[in-house]
Amino acid sequence: MSIVLEQVSKRYGDQIVVNNVSLEVQQGELFVLLGPSGSGKSTILRQIAGLVDVDSGRIELNGRDVTHVPTQKRGVGFVFQNYSLFPYMTVTENIEFGLGIRKVPRADRRQRSEELLDIVGLSGLGRRHPSQLSGGQQQRVALARALAYQPEVLLLDEPFGALDVKIRAQLRESLKAIQRELTVTTILVTHDQEEAFELADRIGVIDRGSLVEVGNPEDLYHRPKTEFASIFLGGGNVLVGRRDEKEITMGAASLPFPADAPPHDPGAPVRVLFRPETVILQRNSFKNNGIYNLGQGRVIGQTFTGSAKRIRLEVEGLQGVRALVPALHYGQHATHIEALVTSAVGDDSQFTDGELVCVGVKDFHVLDPTGLKLLICYTPTDAGEAATAFGLRLAQAAHGPAELLAVAPATEAAAKLREQVEAVRAKCEEDYGSRLTTKVRSGSSPAEILLEAQEGFYEMIILGRNNNPGAKPMGIGATAQRVLAHAAVPVLLVSEPRDTIRRILICTAGGEPGKSDVRFGGRLARRTGAEATVLHVSGHQTSARERNRVEKHLNQAQASLRTLGVKSNIRIEEGPALNGILQEAEAGDYDLVVIGAPTPGRHIGQDFATQFISATSRPVVVVPMQK
Amino acid sequence: MHEIKPRTPAQILLIGVVVLYAAVLLVAPLVAVFQRTFADGVAPVLKAFTDPDVISALKLTASLVIAATVINTLAGVALAWVLVRHEFPGKHLFDAMVDLPFVVSPVIVGYVIIVLFGREGWLGGIPFKIAFSWLGMLLVTVFVSLPFVTREVMPVLAAMTPEQEEAAYTLGASHLLTFRRVILPSIWRGILYGIILTMARALGEFGAVAVAGGGIRGVTETSTLFIFRALHDRNYVGAYSLALLLGVLSVIILLLMNTLRTPTTRKT
Repeated sequence: MSIVLEQVSKRYGDQIVVNNVSLEVQQGELFVLLGPSGSGKSTILRQIAGLVDVDSGRIELNGRDVTHVPTQKRGVGFVFQNYSLFPYMTVTENIEFGLGIRKVPRADRRQRSEELLDIVGLSGLGRRHPSQLSGGQQQRVALARALAYQPEVLLLDEPFGALDVKIRAQLRESLKAIQRELTVTTILVTHDQEEAFELADRIGVIDRGSLVEVGNPEDLYHRPKTEFASIFLGGGNVLVGRRDEKEITMGAASLPFPADAPPHDPGAPVRVLFRPETVILQRNSFKNNGIYNLGQGRVIGQTFTGSAKRIRLEVEGLQGVRALVPALHYGQHATHIEALVTSAVGDDSQFTDGELVCVGVKDFHVLDPTGLKLLICYTPTDAGEAATAFGLRLAQAAHGPAELLAVAPATEAAAKLREQVEAVRAKCEEDYGSRLTTKVRSGSSPAEILLEAQEGFYEMIILGRNNNPGAKPMGIGATAQRVLAHAAVPVLLVSEPRDTIRRILICTAGGEPGKSDVRFGGRLARRTGAEATVLHVSGHQTSARERNRVEKHLNQAQASLRTLGVKSNIRIEEGPALNGILQEAEAGDYDLVVIGAPTPGRHIGQDFATQFISATSRPVVVVPMQK
Repeated sequence: MHEIKPRTPAQILLIGVVVLYAAVLLVAPLVAVFQRTFADGVAPVLKAFTDPDVISALKLTASLVIAATVINTLAGVALAWVLVRHEFPGKHLFDAMVDLPFVVSPVIVGYVIIVLFGREGWLGGIPFKIAFSWLGMLLVTVFVSLPFVTREVMPVLAAMTPEQEEAAYTLGASHLLTFRRVILPSIWRGILYGIILTMARALGEFGAVAVAGGGIRGVTETSTLFIFRALHDRNYVGAYSLALLLGVLSVIILLLMNTLRTPTTRKT
């Protein structure tokens, strides 16, 4: 092991620049750290060189702990983006600088610098000054200077960033060849994915200071685990489907759930990636097997990129399916797919705008599940604090990402609210790290909450509500009412502090026993390790046939909970639904009650869900039921 | 061929006025001094330079200029380094304070020395003499010429990327070696320019040294003070001779500065 980083961190003020990065680079390997600008990748490189100190963690070079060793004694070669040659020395003097410090005899120095000039392709230019060289040549000299004293490790910080495309390609090739020849362990930092693919033995993807994924270029491109890596490593389509038994449902289309895909709970969202080049467009429907049909799509735009053509399609069957990429413009609702076809003339893959074509994919890949993604709405009220605390408790138990959202009625109030939200976040920093983000929006509360939930693809909205019988309508408050009426995802309403999640009551209510409520309640129970009870309250004088049907349904529910690994039992009560559920909730001291409600546009105020919520003080999740 | 536009009468007038103004202000005094000095031939001038007071004044001026320049060069580079490369509370105020010697009248500076170190002064009890001594004169000279090196070095240092230093560190160079081989060559021109300005300022200082040193003939009388006294005593030849020498030195400094300001392009 040549370079080892163990949980290395760095913060500037209250900003985490490098977050617990652990990394192992093998002897002779060319490792590329890839990430957007400001992601902290350069800081990591500078920490390895000792130019930036380490707040916590260890750095090892060739088995030697160098965490607190000064730069001069680390034996690393470093190449900077802006070359940083010594302007008052000749090329040869620059290259020999490190050798001179090591008291290498003059003749040996001369020989070594000639050798290196040869290797980097600049023989004969040794007597020039840096200012007389082009950018590409200067960077070659910088490389020679860094390699001159045969360092154990070579570090390159965006070395080609300041060069034009053609020179960059030449230099890339030279670097790869030189690195192979000298087998020096190398880490290169770049934001250019093409560069990373071309050079790297392995790539580490960095996002906001964290090492998100490590792998060889092909694996990372075709089989990434995270949304960030899949989007950052090239164009693609990431659609969010739902796991239904053995299938992934995406609108009218469905894909088989691959046997080797990372495990997903039944009913959980599944993020499916397919690269534009795996999209097949045909005028006739697909006959051959091995192509997954997505349905018909309309060509809505084409971009010529030279060897290929990028085609954007609107696929009718995918209407309503969330697409993480390609991004939609504000106000667009349709789901778009991007395809890449060869631009060869005369090919029958030339389409006109507006044309209807059959869209299929040759291959697709399932990303790792995110865990439950929660939107916690903070308000500086008792109920808001209770909801925030309960939401954070849930997020911690579920190991999922969460966002603290606060909505200011006017822009002037936003600053104070932001301070409060930050204070909450700072308090929970230890427990959540970067999984907890914050946001302050201004405008009307329900509208902003719904918008944020939709834009951020949250799986549940957590909201405080008044527990005041006088509050209109029906004692739950206007914001809660509007969010309930329009949310497409489950809404958790909290009115009083509660800090345990051990028992969950899933009610299939008086009406038609649902499916999504059991599924979501089951996911909550699985994530939090809680025990679940499925309750059905049927009216008096139910027919034997009806009773049979209910029992059968509850058994199915219990079976699907069992597949989730949730311990559950079922109860059937008789009597008025509202009272039945309230009694059971109190008797069993449940921490969370899950009920289903028809959506959208339900008549909040008179409906069963609202009646129930206003009658209990326990946290209630309302799951929208598709008819 | 590019045609040269004829000048308008207004332009000719403007150019004429500016050149005349500069000539009267800058050249006329030099010519006047030169003419007066040699009004009676070369012999009296040579004789003036054997006057023990002149020799003493010249020696004193030389020692003050050299000592002040050495001190301000070292301190100035250090000051520039701290102001460019380090952050500390109150840095901006400190930065502005460096220009204080430009705005405070030298006479006041000299007076402060007397107030502080005079017989009745707050710090009058210290074992060595400062007021009315060489040390006091050096102190005021250092003060009035303090900002030059700092202000000349700061921009060059700021223009140098820290990566050059970092590159040297990664190659194994110590901080001292990095300063000597990497930083110094880059800021050398700025330092030299600052040194020249410091020398010129120290050479011509009058008010501060007059008050702080007291102008005791043969002891704390610098060249400028000698000229002032000589004029008063109607020793015109002595005054003009020394004035001419200082003038020539100033012109030499000016020319040096000019050659530095337009760097010769490096040979290819």
